[in-house]
Amino acid sequence: MGGLFAYLDPGSGSMIVQAVVGGVAAVAVAGKFYWRRFLGFIGIRRKNDSSS
Amino acid sequence: MEPRVERGSFRDPDSRVFYAGGSVHRALSERGLADWEALAETALFRDKVAEGKLVGTEQLPEPNGLPAELDAERVAAVLRHDRVPVVSYPYEWPFGMLRDAALLELELLLAALDENLILKDASPYNVQWRGTRPVFVDVGSFERLREGEPWAGYRQFCTLLLYPLMLQAFKNVPFQPWLRGSLEGIEPAEMRRLLSFRDRFRRGVLTNVVLHAKLEARYADREVKQDLKKAGFRTELIRVNARKLRKLVQRLEWKPGRTAWSTYRTTNPYDEPDAAAKLDFVREAAGARHRRLVWDLGCNDGRFTRVAAMDADYTVAVDADAAVVEALYRELRADGVDTILPLVGNLADPSPGLGWRGEERRPLVARGRPDLTLALALIHHVALTSNVPIRDFLDWLAELQTELVIEFPTRDDPMVQRLLARKGPGANPDYDTETFERALNERWRVERRDTLPSGTRILYRASPSA
Repeated sequence: MGGLFAYLDPGSGSMIVQAVVGGVAAVAVAGKFYWRRFLGFIGIRRKNDSSS
Repeated sequence: MEPRVERGSFRDPDSRVFYAGGSVHRALSERGLADWEALAETALFRDKVAEGKLVGTEQLPEPNGLPAELDAERVAAVLRHDRVPVVSYPYEWPFGMLRDAALLELELLLAALDENLILKDASPYNVQWRGTRPVFVDVGSFERLREGEPWAGYRQFCTLLLYPLMLQAFKNVPFQPWLRGSLEGIEPAEMRRLLSFRDRFRRGVLTNVVLHAKLEARYADREVKQDLKKAGFRTELIRVNARKLRKLVQRLEWKPGRTAWSTYRTTNPYDEPDAAAKLDFVREAAGARHRRLVWDLGCNDGRFTRVAAMDADYTVAVDADAAVVEALYRELRADGVDTILPLVGNLADPSPGLGWRGEERRPLVARGRPDLTLALALIHHVALTSNVPIRDFLDWLAELQTELVIEFPTRDDPMVQRLLARKGPGANPDYDTETFERALNERWRVERRDTLPSGTRILYRASPSA
């Protein structure tokens, strides 16, 4: 039980905003998020290695 | 009466509202029950209910008495909620009420985070009112926190609360027609287009609007939740954002311009002797016996509302001018009045049924019929400005089966003359005292008739004739 679904679509863009605007605490998260995206983009990391 | 499902409560399958035996119930799924149990044992729940900010709720011993349309197999428990006197919707609230609803959502979100809980949405429809005191009614919105996930309600907070408030605060554009036009509110991309270049530099706009719209467009088809988790997203970020949003919302102010109504009391021609006689008339009519629900249609500054409310359980005060309703809300809140609900509404264009099947949000009449209705200094606006035929207007009132206190300004009244002058001679021939009285007598039993000192306004007190 307690799957990860939500009845309301949180919106991908809306989730990223929250990682970007949180001041100092957010810088590391946003940086890492985009770094991982970048690695995925240049092919070093496969895009969907994240199923959990 | 058969139990029936609340039509506005189908979106969250873990928590469905229904009515049975005169009370409000909530059917919970297994998951909903686990969330409720987590909430019920917190200090947050106890304190916020005691403060009146969260609706009083108890779990029933057995999940019985379900409406037929709910699948009993999926119902793990049933809760019973305290009722709010009259349900209202964000598109009927003035600016200050929407802002206070937003602040209550944020207060509860922050309190929930401290208890390892979170709000799964941020709908202003989850906030209702006891007079001017907001109360959060959707206990099913609380769920157990999942570490590493952003707040799922943030987007809804923007579209239904933050953007409408910004629209009115920055542009002096009333948000009510927008919220009535779409139950989802204003989308990030739409909001960005509504704001000027200069507006982008106002507090909170660059992030909550511009960046939000951009990221939404860019990541429309991409799943990012897991990536954010892996990048180290923490609950602390939700807390930081909620605090920022709170500060932002607190600073949003609406300064209404001079509307026709908000200056009405100081400039209208008849005034004091008439007003005093009118107050006595209303006091007598309202004091005749105790009423459950009173409507004051065209309440203006609420002077007569307060008198009418003294002998009633609850009073709904409606006016088409959001500026006077805003002023009334602030006054009533400052005075701690919790038996008068001020709402923005135009009788000639009242709140319709909206949403799925047109039943998710209901017309005002369907949310509680009044047993006394005041219609003071109203009929000439309905009949002359909106051209509603007098007989039609009285028919509508008669259908409510309500006692009535109604004021008729005659054709000689300065305000009536002003309204007629704009339209040219011979306009609205049905607007005269004789026609009005004949129509009134056909539908009601008139119990009292007083001409006010000005001689151009007549007050009637009437009961349904059936």
